[in-house]
Amino acid sequence: MPRRSFRRYNTLIVCIRRLLSENKFITGNEAVVLGAIEGGAEMFFGYPITPATEILEGWIKTATEDKSLQYLQAEDEIASGFATIGAILAGKKAFTATAGVGHILMQDPISMAENERLPFVGIIAQRGGPSTGTVIYSQQEVNLAALGGNGDGLRIVYSASNVAECFGLSSKIFSTAWKYNFPTFMLTDGYLGKQKISTELKKPLKPYPSRKILKEDFSNPTHIRNCYGSEPEFAKVLQRNISDYKYLIDKVAESENYKVSGATDVILAHGSVASAAKSAVDNLRADGHKVGLIRPITLRPLDTKSIRSQIKNAKRIFIIESAFEQFARLLVYVLPEVASKMIKIFKPAVGFTAEEIYKIVKEQK
Amino acid sequence: MKTQNEQFGMPNCLNVISKPSLFCPGCGESMILKHLGCVIDHEKLQSKITLAIDIGCTLLSWNYFNFDIIQTHHGRSVPVSVGYKMANNKRLVIALMGDGGAYAIGLQSLLHASFRNDPILAIVINNTEYSMTGGQMAPTSLPGEITSTSPLGKNASIFGPAFHGPELVKQVSGSKSFIARATVSNPTMMETVMTKAINTQLGGNFSMVEILSICPTNWKTDAKESFDFLSKLEKIYPVGEIVKKEKNEK
Amino acid sequence: MKNDITKIVLAGEGGQGIQTIAKILSSALLYAGYNVSYIPQFGPEQRGTPSVSFIQFSKSNIPYPKFDTADIVMILRRRAIKTVETYIGTRTSVLFDSSTIARSKFSVNNSRIFAIPATKLAEEEFGSKNQNILALGALAKNFLDYPKNALWQEIAINLAKKFDGNKELAEKSKAAFDFAYEFQLENRKFTKPEYDTSENLILKRNAERIAVIVPKYCKGCGICILKCPVKALSFGKTLGVYGTPTPDIDIDKCIACGNCFRFCPDCAIKVEKK
Repeated sequence: MPRRSFRRYNTLIVCIRRLLSENKFITGNEAVVLGAIEGGAEMFFGYPITPATEILEGWIKTATEDKSLQYLQAEDEIASGFATIGAILAGKKAFTATAGVGHILMQDPISMAENERLPFVGIIAQRGGPSTGTVIYSQQEVNLAALGGNGDGLRIVYSASNVAECFGLSSKIFSTAWKYNFPTFMLTDGYLGKQKISTELKKPLKPYPSRKILKEDFSNPTHIRNCYGSEPEFAKVLQRNISDYKYLIDKVAESENYKVSGATDVILAHGSVASAAKSAVDNLRADGHKVGLIRPITLRPLDTKSIRSQIKNAKRIFIIESAFEQFARLLVYVLPEVASKMIKIFKPAVGFTAEEIYKIVKEQK
Repeated sequence: MKTQNEQFGMPNCLNVISKPSLFCPGCGESMILKHLGCVIDHEKLQSKITLAIDIGCTLLSWNYFNFDIIQTHHGRSVPVSVGYKMANNKRLVIALMGDGGAYAIGLQSLLHASFRNDPILAIVINNTEYSMTGGQMAPTSLPGEITSTSPLGKNASIFGPAFHGPELVKQVSGSKSFIARATVSNPTMMETVMTKAINTQLGGNFSMVEILSICPTNWKTDAKESFDFLSKLEKIYPVGEIVKKEKNEK
Repeated sequence: MKNDITKIVLAGEGGQGIQTIAKILSSALLYAGYNVSYIPQFGPEQRGTPSVSFIQFSKSNIPYPKFDTADIVMILRRRAIKTVETYIGTRTSVLFDSSTIARSKFSVNNSRIFAIPATKLAEEEFGSKNQNILALGALAKNFLDYPKNALWQEIAINLAKKFDGNKELAEKSKAAFDFAYEFQLENRKFTKPEYDTSENLILKRNAERIAVIVPKYCKGCGICILKCPVKALSFGKTLGVYGTPTPDIDIDKCIACGNCFRFCPDCAIKVEKK
């Protein structure tokens, strides 16, 4: 191609990309706020807790300039969650953000949303636990995020691995929630939340619309309950929820395969650990090591079909998480074949650098 | 041509399909809801109203009326109402709860809604015990009152005396709030108070009505004994509008 | 599944004393030397749904509180049928209250269905509080062959508090119990269910006013009777939704003050001026 036309072509691409995306130097928590607004969020309810506080602050700052956005700093996480539900019932895309012990309190409203099939949206910024733990970082809220309510509630959980995903997934979770009517969460962590980095924010797809859940039609009133009179009556409701959930798995489950083709060693990781792992994979491959990374983007539901086919030829599977077997447990339940090949690399509450992962895989006998 | 409701003298906004209701014989809450229905009919509010209910006996009202009802969790009808009203302030929102949901597990949210002057109406049904679970002691139980968790009578020196909820909520409330206590022994006054509380919300302010109620099932009383005990409650929990105590008042 | 556990279901309305007789029967069986298991059915409401109890007794171990098919099912009011018909199997014996339930409500064949018009007998002779004693006596004698005096001891112990203050009640209860032990259960010809809850409104009128009473909403709380300033109301014969008496009104005494409507929790009574 002649050089001049290549330059023109290049400029054209850059212009198109600028229309479809933007480059910003922002933190993960700032990206969450921007993404939520792209996703149609109108209301936020929250309570200060590290490392999610900047989401509350960022939303309020934006709301002071954009009067169409509403917020309430509530008296605790329980009230935040229930007020979020109240707003959702009125047909507004509302969400909350929490972490750590606040995440435990949030299970009260979340379980109501699970029972009543409400499009509850929440951001969980993981920190060390149990209890106050650290305010900083972990991947230890996977159990609670994926399986936290009482009874057999079902929810959808995404795990963001970089600041760009903090933006993109933060927008997507609203559409997923309002389309399928299950509480939907995005996991981040303290590092992602506070890391400031140049990020390309890709314009997301058109958001799925919200609707009034309490329909305000007294000739055909909406009566929503969560308490049932007998076991069989309640079992019917749960069975319907379970079958609705099964239906969405193919449509919602997502994972990313990075250099897995021809790999005999596969790393399974999510969130920021997966980002570090990508870099390690690059270096290992440069050394001739046949290794790849499978990164589940949804932890619930897991992208079982795809992951199953991708790990078929793997001889060793490295499960790497900043927690004690939380991610591993989710994997092994749906992919029992992982159990015989897995090498568990668990560091509860501590992160993994790219160099560390490189070393672990290289030196594993 | 009379509607089915009119045949029975039932307020029009009551859902006749849900009757007979699941409330016990002689339940005070059932009386309260009926009179709330009368007020709603009279003020023509059926098309504007949403009701959030607690767990406990209020959960039995989940399909009681012909308008939107959301059953929440114990102590959580207030925060759900707060979020709902913020999202749609043209609706009239009532948070219904018992004395346990209001003054024990849900007290935090009730106080803060009052403190922020959130424009919701909290209706608290006070029968001095936890009814649905079988009649346990509550903050509002009287000293000496026998309940299933105070079989020798409530020991006030350990568990506190009678809990005056509306008085406490009034202390943190704004000047334009309306907080009052009514009783099922005076249904006419109950309706007047409810109407004023609703108008307070329509004016953009917080309102709360505690209604002294009866529970023949857990009090193990018949009709006369129930109202006799209610008279006793009225002496300890003053009926009428609640006024803020000034700093120098005892 | 073979085992030597006898499985019993007792069912009626809340407030009828089903759990009371379940407890009495359980302690009587314990006293007779059996292992006993008793669990009431429970949901969130205290009174609103039928009251059901599950009793098992055996010489050997009882592994689990619930079962699929009962050996004996006792049903005292129509609303309870829906809840317990699943426990009626091809070999289950059924005892029902024929004065509140029509025979036609059951598809059980005649060899295993029996009745005692317990409510009618209670209302007309032994006092409405003794309906459950009649049912217990009939069940214990005919299905369990339980010794009469021993069972009465059990009843007297369990209801001691009630009997202590009220000699008349104790006497009437004993009379009901003795009667039940002598009573030949209905098997082919059954009493008419005149004590079932009426679906119809009761209208009482004179030149100035009309009273409407709705038995299917009335729960027999008695508050309207208490609050009537002229004592125009009293408990009558018609039974309400839970099998408790509904009020009778003397329409001429009534002054249409509106108190009965004002205080009725269930919109079961009102008086209108013409």
